[in-house]
Amino acid sequence: MDPTTAMYVAQGIHGIAYGMVLFLVASGLTLIFGMMDILNLAHAAFFMLAAYFCYQFLSLTGNFWAALLLAPVATAFFGILMERFLLRKIHAFGLMSQLILTVGVSLVILAGVKIFWGTESLPVKMPPVLSGLVMLGGMDYPVYRLFVIGLSLVVLAIMALLLYKTRLGKIVRAAVSDADMVNALGINIPRVFTFVFGVGIWLAGVAGVAIAPILTVYPGLEAQMGMDAFVVVITGGFGSLAGAFIVSIIFGLLSSYGVQFVSSLAPVLMFAFMAIVLAIRPMGLFGERE
Amino acid sequence: MMNKKAQWILWVGLVVILILYPKVFGIYYTNLFVTFAVFAIYSVSFNLLLGYTALFSFGHAMFFGVGGYGTALALKHIAGLPLLGALGIGLLSAIIFALILSPIVVRVTGSAFAMLHLAFGQLMYILALKLRNITGGEDGIGGFPIPPFSIPGVVSINMKVPENFYYFAIAVLGVSLWIMWFFTKTPFGQIQVGVRDNAMRIDYLGFKVPQTKAVVYVFAGAFAGVAGSIFTLFSNLIAADSGFGIMVSFGAVINTLVGGLGSFFGPIWGAAIMQILEELTTRYTDRVELVAGLILILIIMFAPMGFVGFLRWVRENWFAKTVGKTNLGKVS
Repeated sequence: MDPTTAMYVAQGIHGIAYGMVLFLVASGLTLIFGMMDILNLAHAAFFMLAAYFCYQFLSLTGNFWAALLLAPVATAFFGILMERFLLRKIHAFGLMSQLILTVGVSLVILAGVKIFWGTESLPVKMPPVLSGLVMLGGMDYPVYRLFVIGLSLVVLAIMALLLYKTRLGKIVRAAVSDADMVNALGINIPRVFTFVFGVGIWLAGVAGVAIAPILTVYPGLEAQMGMDAFVVVITGGFGSLAGAFIVSIIFGLLSSYGVQFVSSLAPVLMFAFMAIVLAIRPMGLFGERE
Repeated sequence: MMNKKAQWILWVGLVVILILYPKVFGIYYTNLFVTFAVFAIYSVSFNLLLGYTALFSFGHAMFFGVGGYGTALALKHIAGLPLLGALGIGLLSAIIFALILSPIVVRVTGSAFAMLHLAFGQLMYILALKLRNITGGEDGIGGFPIPPFSIPGVVSINMKVPENFYYFAIAVLGVSLWIMWFFTKTPFGQIQVGVRDNAMRIDYLGFKVPQTKAVVYVFAGAFAGVAGSIFTLFSNLIAADSGFGIMVSFGAVINTLVGGLGSFFGPIWGAAIMQILEELTTRYTDRVELVAGLILILIIMFAPMGFVGFLRWVRENWFAKTVGKTNLGKVS
């Protein structure tokens, strides 16, 4: 393969890897919004928190796989606490109160992270199995990026199985379309809400651990990922997983090829894409309602 | 109801206090007051959309920033531009910007409107960062000349003196506040409230809902632009973070909520409270984020109607014996 094609393919892999991580964050966000009508502005803060947990577990145990398992669960635990003791109490006050509350939580998380870990960026070492390059079809690929893509696909498959093949998934899907009716049928909706919120945060946590070795861990992670994930959810349509998936991949590719061709304007491409989509379909690509 | 005379005395008293304020409190608190006034007006313009029309402009900083950058760019590139000209250009750029956005945004409501604004606000932020040769990137535009306030042949006041600038800023912002207040009292303002309460009914009565929204939208954007313009003149600097930053957008929401939703003067209370809190926290601790976050959580949990709601609660429970008692947490 000639070098130019090789470069395009490598950029494509980078783009898809970033798109998959983006999807992990955005899927939690869109799931929570679709079901609970909550726009969780602290979502990216939990993503960042997971990256810090990953760093902490890694420096305690030295085992990346343990960190990959434990950090998202620990993050989800904090998410569940937030849902149970803060969000549930103000559900009646409407969208704006929830937004402000989640902003408050994200500020507290950011401050907490700075108190415990400081503001400098902390390196996270990849496990030796995943570092280096692998030869595929006459080309070198960075193993870790391929691992991120694979990991995301596995998580995606588990989520799909959970949503479409289990009783719990059926309840969740029913609650997305009409939570009151499901509640009237005798299912404990507040508990389902807590569960979905926890799963959403867990997804963000997996993304946080996956991104930690690539970007290192620093407080700016929140701002970097948060806005991208929100734009994905808006463009894909609120509450739509398929929309979030397609738009995440498009954005991943846009950002990696964008950096190559119009480097200074790369971040703008994403917003331009969003503006075009919204001008034609105000509810987003796959959105069914406002 | 207060009688006319008492009202007049109150207004005159307020004006006298505002005039004497810089003489009494000195330069530091004078500058603090200008900052407060800028963000108060900016928050009121935000509340004009949210409280009166139920349009949640979650990226309100973009109007603030466009106004600020408009003024800064004009002063940098046009030599000999008078002060009011610079202010006018800031206002005009905010109006034009709102006009461009309005055909898209008046079609959506609720959280879609909010998210659209969050995204557009962020787009402006990134553009301000990336179009380095126009906006100066992270450093922004600073050090441009501040022209004196002059009426040719009559008077020329140096605006670099903080006290003079205080009077200028307070006058402009006061007039803006009055215009916005007057606007809510006009028949059009009533239609605006009607759109908030029941858009379909307003449509049925023969008023054009999208156009009404667009007019309010441009109006609110214009005054956010005025606030941004004054802020730029005041600090002689506008940068991506102070103009389009996400915290500027959040600031409007926080001021409005802390002060009290659905009250015209609520955001002003909110701006004052947040300014005082910020002043105190920066003095005693450098964990400003932590304190701000905790305050937001506590307010939402325990006083969701904000300061104005708290005042109402105090009045109803302690001073009026005949009116039924209400709860703090109750949404009226």
